Amino acid sequence: MTLLEKINHVRDQFNTDLERISDLKSWEELKNTYLGRKGLVSKLFSRIGDVPPQDRKTIGQALNSLKNEIQNQVDSLHQTLQEKVDESHDVDYTLPGFPIFKGSRHPLTQAIDEMLSIFARLGFDIAYGPEVETDWYNFSSLNLPLNHPARDMQDTFYVDEGIMLRTHTSPVQTRYMTQHKPPVRIVAPGRVYRNEAISTRSYCMFHQIEGLYVDKNVTFADLRGTLELFCKMYFGPDARIKFRTSYFPFTEPSAEVDVSCFLCKGKGCRVCKNTGWLEILGCGMVDPNVFKAVGYDPEEVSGYAFGLGVDRSVMQKLDIPDIRMLFDNDVEFLKQF
Amino acid sequence: MKVDLNWLQDYVDIDRPLEEICNLLTEAGLECRIVESGPRVPEGVIVGEVISVENHPNADKLSVCFVNTGEKEPAQIVCGAPNVAAGQKVPVAMVGTSLTPDFTLKKAKIRGVTSNGMICAEDELGLSEDHSGIMVLDESCEIGKPLNNYLPKTVILDIDLTANRPDCMSHIGVAREVAALTGKSLKIPDITHQETGPDIHSLAQVVVLASDGCPRYTARVIRNVNIGPSPDWLKKRIEAIGLRPVNNVVDASNYVLHETGHPLHTFDYDKLAEHRIIVRYAEEGETFETLDHKERTLSRNVLLICDGKKPVAMAGVMGGLDSEISDNTVNVLIESAYFDPPTIRKGSKQQLLSTDSSKRFERGTDPNANCVYAQDRLASLILELAGGNCAKGMIDVYPKKIEPLPITMRFDRLKKITSLDISPETCRTIFESLDISVQSMDDQTINVLAPTFRPDLEREIDLIEEIVRIYGLNKIQANSRLQFSMSETVDPLNPFLNRIREIFVGFGFHEAISNSLVSQDMANAGIWGYAPVPLMNPLSIDMNYLRTDLIQPLLHNLKLNAARKRQHVRLFEIGRVMEKDPLSETTVREHQNLGVIMCSDMWDLHWLRSPAPADFFFGKGMLMRFLDNMGITDISLNNTDFHPDPYRIFMDITSGKIQIGKIGEYQPEFLNKYQLEYPVVILELKLDVIFELRKEVFKYKPVSPFPSMTRDISIVVDKNMESETLMKEIHQKGSKFLKDVVVYDQFMDDRKLTPGKKALSYRLWFQSDERTLEDQDVDRIMEKIFNILIRKYGAQLR
Ligand SMILES: [Zn+2]
Repeated sequence: MTLLEKINHVRDQFNTDLERISDLKSWEELKNTYLGRKGLVSKLFSRIGDVPPQDRKTIGQALNSLKNEIQNQVDSLHQTLQEKVDESHDVDYTLPGFPIFKGSRHPLTQAIDEMLSIFARLGFDIAYGPEVETDWYNFSSLNLPLNHPARDMQDTFYVDEGIMLRTHTSPVQTRYMTQHKPPVRIVAPGRVYRNEAISTRSYCMFHQIEGLYVDKNVTFADLRGTLELFCKMYFGPDARIKFRTSYFPFTEPSAEVDVSCFLCKGKGCRVCKNTGWLEILGCGMVDPNVFKAVGYDPEEVSGYAFGLGVDRSVMQKLDIPDIRMLFDNDVEFLKQF
Repeated sequence: MKVDLNWLQDYVDIDRPLEEICNLLTEAGLECRIVESGPRVPEGVIVGEVISVENHPNADKLSVCFVNTGEKEPAQIVCGAPNVAAGQKVPVAMVGTSLTPDFTLKKAKIRGVTSNGMICAEDELGLSEDHSGIMVLDESCEIGKPLNNYLPKTVILDIDLTANRPDCMSHIGVAREVAALTGKSLKIPDITHQETGPDIHSLAQVVVLASDGCPRYTARVIRNVNIGPSPDWLKKRIEAIGLRPVNNVVDASNYVLHETGHPLHTFDYDKLAEHRIIVRYAEEGETFETLDHKERTLSRNVLLICDGKKPVAMAGVMGGLDSEISDNTVNVLIESAYFDPPTIRKGSKQQLLSTDSSKRFERGTDPNANCVYAQDRLASLILELAGGNCAKGMIDVYPKKIEPLPITMRFDRLKKITSLDISPETCRTIFESLDISVQSMDDQTINVLAPTFRPDLEREIDLIEEIVRIYGLNKIQANSRLQFSMSETVDPLNPFLNRIREIFVGFGFHEAISNSLVSQDMANAGIWGYAPVPLMNPLSIDMNYLRTDLIQPLLHNLKLNAARKRQHVRLFEIGRVMEKDPLSETTVREHQNLGVIMCSDMWDLHWLRSPAPADFFFGKGMLMRFLDNMGITDISLNNTDFHPDPYRIFMDITSGKIQIGKIGEYQPEFLNKYQLEYPVVILELKLDVIFELRKEVFKYKPVSPFPSMTRDISIVVDKNMESETLMKEIHQKGSKFLKDVVVYDQFMDDRKLTPGKKALSYRLWFQSDERTLEDQDVDRIMEKIFNILIRKYGAQLR
C-alpha cells in the first residue's frame, strides 16, 4: 500500500469510527487514536521521509488536509456532544428510580437457617422426619410408655388411634438411629404441634431444632461445650450459658439451658423479665431406654440430645409481642425482614 | 406448687439468703420463684422518731410533735393521739402521700399550727381496725426507711415441679431438698397421740377386693370430735398456700397433705353403712355423685371406695357428697392408702377429672413410711384440734409389701456420663442427705436402696442424675477443646430449598408460613384432590383438618391482606401438605410443596411506566424461569380436568410425562367478592418431584465468537392456532443456525385482519459456531420456514 492509499484508508476508518461516538468519553478516545502524539495521523507524518522527494509536496498536502478534516470533524462533534450533555441537565434526577420489588424470607426460616449453618460448622448433618407420627416414635421409643404421666406435658393432636401430629422433633432421633449406626451427629428442624389454646404466647404449631450426638464416650461436658459454642456463634461472643436440672423422659440427666440476655448482657431488662437470662433449649444425655428402643447398647455408646424452640427465640430477638404475627403473613410484617 | 417459707422452716434450718436457696433449688430441678405477700402501705409512709411532744396552744386534745424523719430538720406535726410520747418510733405519712385514692396529705395549719405530715394509727394505714392510738414501732426500725420494710410478710416459694418429682409436692419434700443442698439435717415432727378408744377392729372393717389397684389401705377412727373453726396458726398456713379454711378436721387433713405430700381422706364414720370400707372396681355403667355435684357414669377401670352398700369415693380422685365431714360429724374415719399410679391415671382420664389428689397418686406416693406417718400425723392433729378419742390400733391392709429397690451405681459410669471426678465419699454423703440409704460400697461401686417415696429412682442413670444435680450441674465445664466425630454426609435438601427461597425472594415475593391446620372446606378445596386428613381432637372447627394444598392457606393469607388493604400481595411458602394414605406407616402421605400466590401489579406505582397487573402470563414466565433455573426441561402446560369453579385458567405442569405442579388464575367474580384490584395468580409445585428431576451440574457449552443475525417475520393465521405449535415448527426448520425465537407481538383486530384470524410476529436469531453467516445463508433458511408455515398451517405473510 502506498502512503497515499494509507491516507485514504485512515480517512475511511475515521469516518466509520466517527459514527459510533455517542458520548464525551468515546470522543476522547477517538481524538487520541487519530490526533494524539502517537496517533494514526502522527504516524503517517513520520513516514513522510520514506517518500521520494518529488512526491513529498503532494503527499504533504494530502496529509495536512486529512489532519485538518479530522480536526474539524472532531471539534464539531465535541460541540454537539457537549450540547447534548447540557441538555440532559434539564432532567430532574431527583425523581425516584424504578421501583424494584422487594422480596423477603420469613424470619423463622432465616433463624432456622442461621442455626443450621452454625450446627453444620460444628459437624452436624441435617435429618428430617414426618410431621404426622406414630405413637412409637413420638412417645414410646422416647421412654414415654402408654399411661406415663409425662405424656400430659405435651397436649397432642390425634389423627387416628396411635397416630398423631408430632409434639416435638425428638422422634427424628429414634427414626434416624433405627436407620443408622453410631456415630450419629444430626440436627433436625421442623414444625411441631401442640393442642393448646392459641394466645399471644402460644400457638398450635411452632418450630423446633433437635440435635443428637451419639458416639463412644460422649459426656455432659461435650454437650456443654457444643452448646456454649453454638450460643456464642448465634448470640455473640460474650454469650454465657447456665444449666438447670429438668426432666425429659428421653434424656437423663436432663437440663434446661439459659443464655445470658443478648439485649442487656445479663443486667436485666424487659426482654428477659429482669432475670438477665433467657430460656432457650432443653437438653440432656440420651436415656439408656431410648438406646435400647433403637437397638444401641447403652454400655457401648453414650450421647446427648437437645431441642431448641425457634419461634420464642425469634420473638425475643425481634421483639415481636404476639406469636400469631408470625403466621398471619401480613405483607407489611413480612417485608421488614 | 406453693411452699410457705415460714412453714418450711419447721423442717429445715435456713441460714442463707433466700435468693441463694431459690437458685440452688432451681439448679437442682425445682424451678423456684419468690413471691411475697402481706399488708402494704403507701410508699410515702416512713419510720420517724418522736423527739418532743408539747401541748397545742389552741386545743386541749392535740399535741405538737417534732419528729425526726431522717431529714436535716425535724418535722413539726400536729397529732391527736393520746399515746404519743417522746422517744417512740412511729409511722409518719409525709406530705404528698396518698393514704386513700381521694386523700393526699398536704401541708396544713391545724388550729393555727403548721403540720408537715401525719403520725398514723393502724386503721389509717389500712392495717387493722385499731384506732385507739398511733402505731408504735419496734425500737430496731431505722429512721427514714419505708414502713413496708418492717411489716410482716408471707414469703412463698412458688415451685414449678417436673412430673418425675411427686415427693417434692410437700413441705417436707422440699425441705429434704433444701437440707441436701445446704448440708443441713431434716427435722420431722414427732408424733405422740393417745389411743384411748376401743380396738379399731371392733369399730370398722376394711376389705380390699382390688389389691392391684390398691396395694395398701390404712384406716383409723377417732370418735367424739368437736367440729369447729381451726386455730389462727392453722388458718394462716392454709391460706398462705392458697387454700380456704373450712373446719378443723378438713383443715388438718389439708395441712398434713401439704406437709407430707400424702393425700388423705376423712369420712364421716356414721355415714359409712355397716362401718365397712370396700375397695373395688366399678361395675360397667355404675353411677356415683362426686363432691362437685356431678353424677358420673363409671366404667370398669375406675377404682371405688365403698361402704357396706354404696360407693363413697372415687379412690384417690374425689370423695362423695354423702360421707363428707360436716358440722354435725361426730366420728371420723381417716383413710391413708397407696393407690396404683396407672389405675388412678386411667380413672381420672376416663372421667376427665383431675384433682390435686389424683395428680399425686398418678405420679406415685409412698406406700410405706410416709403413708403411715401421714395417717398418724393427721390423727394426732385432729386429737389436738378437735378433741375426741382415737381407737386403738390402725387397720392396715397391705398384703404384699412394696420393697425399696436396690440399685448399684458404678463410679466409672458416673464419670463417663458427667466427666466429673466425684469421690465415693461425696456420693455417699449426697445419697444419705436425700434419704437414699447406702447399703455397701467399694472403690468401684455403691449399692443403695431407693426409698419408696422416690418412684423416679429405678436405674443407675437415675442415681447419676441425683449425684449431679445435688453436686451442681454447672460444675460440669466444657472441655477446652471439643472432640467429636463429624458427620460424613451432607444433606442436599436444605440447600435446594434455600435456593428456591432465594429465587422467589429475587422475584419480589415474601416468604409465608401458614397454619397446617385448616377447616374442612379448605381441606376439601385442595387443588390436588387428595383425601383429606381430619383431626380426632381439633382445637376448633376452623382447624379440624390438615391442609391438602398450599393454595388454600395462601388464599386465606391473601384475604387477611385484602381486609387490611395491603397493596401488592406476593407470597410463597414451602411446606408440607397431607394426604390420607392407608398404606403409609402413619396413615398419611406427606408432600413437600412450593405454593405461590400473587395479586399485584408488575411494579409499584411509578412515574416512568403505567401500571400493569401481573396476570397468568407473568406467572407462567416466572414458572419457566424457575424451572430453567432448576435445569428442568421438556415442560408442557395442559388444561386439567380438575376445575374447581373459581378458576379462569387452570393447568397441569408436566416435565415429560411427570406431573410437577399446577398453575392458574382466578375468575373475576372471585375478585369482586374480596374487592381485589388484580387477578389472583396461583402456582403450586411438587418439590419432592422437582428435587429428583433437577439437574444441578450443567455441562459447559461453547460460545460462538461470530456475530449473530436477526430476522423478523409477521404472519397471519387462524385465531385458534397455538403459537407454541408454530414455534416448534420454526425451531425444527430453523437448522442448527437458529439460536432463539421470541414472539414479540400478537394482534387480533377483526377490522384490520380477516375475521377469525390473528397476526403473530416472531424475531429469530441466527448464529454459526464456525463462521460469520452471510445474508444468503439466512435467507435460505427463512425461505424454508415461510414455506412450511404457509403449506402446513395456512399462514399468510404480512
Ligand atoms: Zn435482658
